[in-house]
Amino acid sequence: MSAIQSRWATTTGHVAGLALLFVAAGMGLGTLVELLDGTDGGAMAGATAITSGIGFLLWRSTRPGRLDHATVFTAVGGTWLIVSVMGALPYLLAGTFDRPGIGLPVVIADALFESVSGYSCTGSTVFGSHNPIAAQGTGLLLYRQLTQWIGGMGIVVLVVTVLPSVRAAGLGLIDAEAPGAGVDRLAPRVADTARRFWLLYLGLTILVAVGLLAAGMSPFDAVAHSLTTASTGGFSTRDASIGHWDSLAIELVIMLGLVIGAANFTLHARSLGTRRPLHHRDPEFRGYLGVLGVGTLLATLMLCADGYGPATALRNGAFSVVSLGTSGGFGNATTRGGPGDFASWPAGPQVLLLFLLVFGGCTGSTSGGVKVMRLRIGAAHAYRTLRSIRRPRAILPVRFGNMVVADHLVERVAGFVVVYGMFLVGGTLVVAALGSDLLTALSGVFSALGNMGPALNQAGPTASFVDGYSSPGRMVLALLMLVGRLEIFPMLLMVVAPYRAIQRHAPVRRPDRRWRRFPR
Amino acid sequence: MIRSLLAGPAAGTGSDRTWGGIRTATTWGAAVGMISAACLALTAGLVDLTAGGGDTPVLLMAGGLAGVASSLLVARVNRPDRIRPSEVLSGATTALVSMVLCVAGLYLLTGAAGQPDDALFEATSGVTTTALSVLDPNSFGRGLLLVRAGSQWFGGLGALVLAVVILPFQGSGGEFADRSGRDGRIPLAPNQRVALRNIFALYVPLSLVIWLAYNLAGSGWFDSLLLAMATVSTGGFTGPGNLLVDGETRWVAVVGMILSGTSIVVLWRLVVGRGRGLLRSRELRSYLSILIVATGLFLAWSGPMEGVDLREALFTVSSAITTTGFPSDPMGEWSAALPVLLLLLVAIGPMTGSAGGGFQILRLRILLNSATREMVRQLHPRVVARVRLGGRVAEESTVRQATVVQFVFVAVLFTTALVVATLGLDIAAALSASVHAVSTAGPVRALDGSILDPSGWPRPTRLALLPAMVSGRLFLYPAAVTGGTLLIELGNQLRLRRRWRRWRARGTR
Repeated sequence: MSAIQSRWATTTGHVAGLALLFVAAGMGLGTLVELLDGTDGGAMAGATAITSGIGFLLWRSTRPGRLDHATVFTAVGGTWLIVSVMGALPYLLAGTFDRPGIGLPVVIADALFESVSGYSCTGSTVFGSHNPIAAQGTGLLLYRQLTQWIGGMGIVVLVVTVLPSVRAAGLGLIDAEAPGAGVDRLAPRVADTARRFWLLYLGLTILVAVGLLAAGMSPFDAVAHSLTTASTGGFSTRDASIGHWDSLAIELVIMLGLVIGAANFTLHARSLGTRRPLHHRDPEFRGYLGVLGVGTLLATLMLCADGYGPATALRNGAFSVVSLGTSGGFGNATTRGGPGDFASWPAGPQVLLLFLLVFGGCTGSTSGGVKVMRLRIGAAHAYRTLRSIRRPRAILPVRFGNMVVADHLVERVAGFVVVYGMFLVGGTLVVAALGSDLLTALSGVFSALGNMGPALNQAGPTASFVDGYSSPGRMVLALLMLVGRLEIFPMLLMVVAPYRAIQRHAPVRRPDRRWRRFPR
Repeated sequence: MIRSLLAGPAAGTGSDRTWGGIRTATTWGAAVGMISAACLALTAGLVDLTAGGGDTPVLLMAGGLAGVASSLLVARVNRPDRIRPSEVLSGATTALVSMVLCVAGLYLLTGAAGQPDDALFEATSGVTTTALSVLDPNSFGRGLLLVRAGSQWFGGLGALVLAVVILPFQGSGGEFADRSGRDGRIPLAPNQRVALRNIFALYVPLSLVIWLAYNLAGSGWFDSLLLAMATVSTGGFTGPGNLLVDGETRWVAVVGMILSGTSIVVLWRLVVGRGRGLLRSRELRSYLSILIVATGLFLAWSGPMEGVDLREALFTVSSAITTTGFPSDPMGEWSAALPVLLLLLVAIGPMTGSAGGGFQILRLRILLNSATREMVRQLHPRVVARVRLGGRVAEESTVRQATVVQFVFVAVLFTTALVVATLGLDIAAALSASVHAVSTAGPVRALDGSILDPSGWPRPTRLALLPAMVSGRLFLYPAAVTGGTLLIELGNQLRLRRRWRRWRARGTR
């Protein structure tokens, strides 16, 4: 069996099989809710059976092979692809996106889009006035919310908690999936680290649900929105998203949940462990709050200058900045063109939001985007290079807070930003070529790659992505969502790793190989 | 400060003491900008005289004054002990800014511009070869038309000098300069002095050849001169009316633009007979490939448009990628992808070492290769991987510089777009205008492909585009270095606390 076949047939199959069992559990929960609610749960039950069957077969028929870097990336990327495809089953079986005059390929594409948008925590949707969310069954809606909750902390992280055979190399798998430059161990064992992350995540979800319940949401809506707030996903059970309630209290709870969800979970865990908050000492968290604060201030001032009242400007400016700055993607517009509909705002704050679509939250969080740490290191790297022109012989380290960042990490960040930029530019051209105008294409690609949710122009917070993008365009966006969720390299390397251009660098002159010659 | 500058080293500091590098560099830079403007004004005055225009006295007097002032500056400058790369880059920035101010002064003095901001915008657009115009050239005499086109020509020359003579020697990227005289080769830039001479030896004849070609294609001698200056500098101002109407002229423009977007190293090798193997240059192949693919895409996506043939497609594409900005009006309804394609081409720009703006292909290739290296490192963390281009290993400083340019490019783009959008443009126009300003290309297009007229934009919006144009023309890096250097110098000058301490210490003695 070749290396590539073995990579797919063993490790990837094993991890994906177990991941599918978790996905099936989510579908099963949806089926249960549909049965309790008295609606027809046949489609959900069918999807549960198929997914769990395939997952079980995959899991049982494969065994993890060697876990080198290429295998890790293939396993993570492949698992996400398989989960996203199987996650579309409930929509397909329930005929959610069937509508008159639409062919089967478009229906499949829409189901895939919604599934990928869910698992990648993007929050873009193809539901709209042609196919309202309110018309769907509660079980399907709960499953839709659960897709974001499962995807938020990461399917592979979930797998590592229970998969004994990959525990030794599990940190590599988590590392490849988790947003940021790497994962800190919270416990000596990798599985314990993964379990603690999930417990923390569950705790945050429960806290948000209680908060939303206290703010006036129904129990179902509160639980459903807590799932997508903790995961900074952005799916809602209402067509007008958070704008449906038009409640300041609910908006505040959502904003607080998003800010915590988009902060580093390691920082939360350490703060809980020491029983005192350590957030104020973390340079990334300070920068993250700074960006949100400055963004809110600027958006408020610009909206005030455009004639909005100060209270309306502050409320809508803050909500939109936090929602997009944390990659949440909720909307608080009560009507299309209302004060919360940022697609109808003046151009200044829209450019600001476009910047926030790239920005993202902290590393080690559930958010998407480039992340504050990378942007700060990138800026420090640029400053260092410019200073070195003036002082060519000076040794100028790149600092992040009090830490000196190693040069290979700086190069890694620079490389990531370069590849990210190329995906943005290339994606925009492709989506525009598939029929969208410049602004819709550009903001859609920014939004998809940063896992944000809504975009600008024809794909604003009150619009459906069906309005702004053609069906192939939406497929490109879905692919970008997956690429963005895994922070580019796992998906990219899954595709390019087998190629010789990459593999020819493999025979590395390692010190041990060289030294072996001399003693003998 | 101006008084001390004019008084030179004798003013208070003692004639035996040399100037600081930054003062010398900026003074020389200012003098170079003024001398260029003086040459331009005097030539324009003489041309205006032959055509019986009314601007002759103003142009000649202003040119004379600028010449005298620059001579005074040069005469009073003392040599510093040493001059650092950051100071040379500051000097280059000062040269550009001083020329912009002088040309703006000419527009104001001749009455071509009624408002200082209009004059400043037109001058900046000219010298930075951006080709966004707010003045009506139909009311200009020949002298002013020559000033307008000549400002571009000098701007293009300045860009070449910066790219070939200054940056590889003072910044980084020297490993890709044509320096080696091995095997009897005649290199373009063995040292700075020879490089400067060779640039003149190429730029002036190329301008003359394009002038002649336009003339042969049917344009009048003066119109040909204006077009040649706009083409060779990748400027794009077309003079009164649309001078690029007939087919032959447009073909000449296409060839001229492609040549002007080609690296001067490639042109030099062709001229000195080292053309064999030129197509092995990865950068040249990338440039030509982008040109061909983009033309194909333009033709493919312009299905419903009327009158789009190969010539029109090539004209529009080469105008965008070389950042020349000759206008081509939409021929019917544009598909949504065409403005995005043109915007992307403008942002990419032509070959490094040409007069064009934009990000430029060599830098893009460096970024692509460094991204590939990063992928390799993800798979093989211990690998020692170098970025190679055309068989040469790029130094780490060059790779770092390309990454920094990307950061600065995006930062300038977003800041400009934010400011411009806040000041009144719609978001699509704001994004498009900032990309064009940073890439020093015109004209700005709306979402439907129609050309936007900057004279209809609010005045603060136009002013907000000027820093982007200037930094784009300086290839961003020198602009950022200059900004930092000037800030540090300003900080050194204004260290009030230290001065206060010194003053108190003297008082107690």
